[in-house]
Amino acid sequence: MSLETLDSGQEHIASAISDEVVIELSKVNKWYGEFHVLKDIDLTVYKGERIVICGPSGSGKSTLIRCINRLEEHQQGDILVNGVTMDTNLKNIDAIRRDVGMVFQSFNLFPHLTVLENCTLAPIWVRNTPKAEADRLAMQLLERVKIPEQAAKYPGQLSGGQQQRVAIARSLAMNPNIMLFDEPTSALDPEMISEVLDVMVGLAESGMTMLVVTHEMGFAKRVADRVIFMDQGEIVEQNTPGEFFNNPKSDRTKLFLSQILAH
Amino acid sequence: MAETTQDDVVFRPKPSLPPPPNTVGVVGWLRKNLFGGPFDSLLTIVGVSLIAYVAYSLYQYGIANAVWEADTYRECLDVTKGNGACWAGVSTWMNGYMYGRYPDVEQWRVNLAGVVLAVWLAPFWFPKIKAKILVGMSAVLTFPFLAAHLFLGGEAGLFLQVMVAVAMTLFATVWLNVGASYLGYPSLRVALLRLSGFENKGDHLHKYVLLGAFGVGFVIAFAYQSTWELAAVPTQNWGGLFLTLVISGIGISSALPSGIILALGRRSKMPVIRVFCTAFIELFRSVPLITILFMAVTMMPLFLPVEINPDKLVLVIVAVCIFAAAYMAEIVRGGLQAINKGQYEAAQAMGLNYWKMMTLIIMPQALKVMIPNIVGNFIGLLKDTTLVSIIGLYDILLMAKASGQDGKWLGMHTEPFLFTAAVFFVVCFCMSKYSQHLERTIGGGYGRR
Repeated sequence: MSLETLDSGQEHIASAISDEVVIELSKVNKWYGEFHVLKDIDLTVYKGERIVICGPSGSGKSTLIRCINRLEEHQQGDILVNGVTMDTNLKNIDAIRRDVGMVFQSFNLFPHLTVLENCTLAPIWVRNTPKAEADRLAMQLLERVKIPEQAAKYPGQLSGGQQQRVAIARSLAMNPNIMLFDEPTSALDPEMISEVLDVMVGLAESGMTMLVVTHEMGFAKRVADRVIFMDQGEIVEQNTPGEFFNNPKSDRTKLFLSQILAH
Repeated sequence: MAETTQDDVVFRPKPSLPPPPNTVGVVGWLRKNLFGGPFDSLLTIVGVSLIAYVAYSLYQYGIANAVWEADTYRECLDVTKGNGACWAGVSTWMNGYMYGRYPDVEQWRVNLAGVVLAVWLAPFWFPKIKAKILVGMSAVLTFPFLAAHLFLGGEAGLFLQVMVAVAMTLFATVWLNVGASYLGYPSLRVALLRLSGFENKGDHLHKYVLLGAFGVGFVIAFAYQSTWELAAVPTQNWGGLFLTLVISGIGISSALPSGIILALGRRSKMPVIRVFCTAFIELFRSVPLITILFMAVTMMPLFLPVEINPDKLVLVIVAVCIFAAAYMAEIVRGGLQAINKGQYEAAQAMGLNYWKMMTLIIMPQALKVMIPNIVGNFIGLLKDTTLVSIIGLYDILLMAKASGQDGKWLGMHTEPFLFTAAVFFVVCFCMSKYSQHLERTIGGGYGRR
């Protein structure tokens, strides 16, 4: 990948950022045992904002977004999501998780349920949506991710790209206002990456607030309002994609960019 | 995409060819599996001869030289000269092997309970029935009360009478549901509402209609069961295969739920629950079943007040249940560990709480992985229940032994045990085959993985 291919003809899609804060992290610290994985993270995300988080492996970027829906517990600092404080109160955690969707690197679809059932499970059991209504909504979403014909199949019968699109539909079925993506294309064959990225671009166009951990710099250029570069548990640099790629401030960022764009 | 021009190389896949001859079909199978080389051929011939020899000997002993009708073991020996089986004794004692010393005139109650259970569970295998949980749960939770009343007879307490009536009402519910489903209604609920005319009269009334229907059924069942006059049959008279199935049946049906609870407790983040469950599991798993049985039957009563004099069978069943639960807990824990962490995370990220995550996502997958182990454990438990013969319960094994000590059939030891072995083999083999069938059908739904 080179900078030329990044620039090839695809316009940055229009931003729809409002001044409403949906996620606020202040002085967040987290340790895995002795290992200090997040160091004094401050981050404010506005409604409709699309943030791409990149950095070398082990830099804490996955941990950061997993703290936002409490898949990981932070030890210090405050996390505020949709105005709800993240603490040990299970009610708060459940309230946050209902409105924050997450897409995983390894899809994590439920193999014992069909594609449709995967998408209707949470609406039925968490939001108490009637089954017929949930089915209708799920079919709409499967059409949006362009695989309605696979609804009756089981995840094991689909390709990786299709599974990840089901996973996106499944998250959207809860009608979240924030979507977290944890390296959504890293487990995919090159031929399938674009079909997932297309869906994500579509989602961005619809004005969804998105936090995306990814190495897809083309996607970052095209979609992100802000690119965050992390290393060793710190936010090293954050900027608009134009500034970030063409005019990086930090030496560490320059080195990282030269490495991932060298091929 | 660019248009194809003459210069482009067009990719044409090669056609698929048939496999070489002698590698497929019967000949291929024989060559591969039986006569792959000189040594393989030799093994095949030796193996086949051995099987033929054993089969022939069994045939000679069990059928050709066997005696089917005789009054004493002596008569048998006169005919067979010790070279054949004396099935006459086994058939004379058959009733004892099946029911122990349960009175002949009351044995219909045992048979009836067996038939009721079979009919109760049958809808489980009907493709049209969706309420499988109703079928399974109602049978597991209330059939034991009905069966206990039928087996024990005598004066039932109010609680037992209520539970018997509930059991009968639920049994009727299950089969009315079957009827409704095959008459074209979506479920019994809808059928009841439609027939009573309440379908369009406000949803809040529905549950009262359904409760009312259940209440009417309950009253009828209660009135009906209070007319029963069953002679009391104390548990000392229970025996044979019947007793074996009672003990193992209760052990098996309680093992899975209690094992699941113990396993979840052991993985819990709450220290008190975790320590208690771990201690319970480790304690009862490190002690042989026979020790637990002795403790339950001989030592437990010493610690209880004199007025409480628990039935020996009850103590044995409790001991077997505890033992089975401890083993099952470790199987379930193993199954839970086989489930990918991502499944938990995905369920949590959607906002499912702990119990919904466990019942909807984790357990269904874990149970499927565990089927071979669970059924293996059930088979082991069924066979382990023969240990109750050591503490003096007349299960099928002790009845088999007793028949060889009967004056008329003195010395008849081989035949009853062969028969017992055959019974156990049939039951266990069926369970094993059914478990394989379950693995295939449940696994089939997963598609390719």
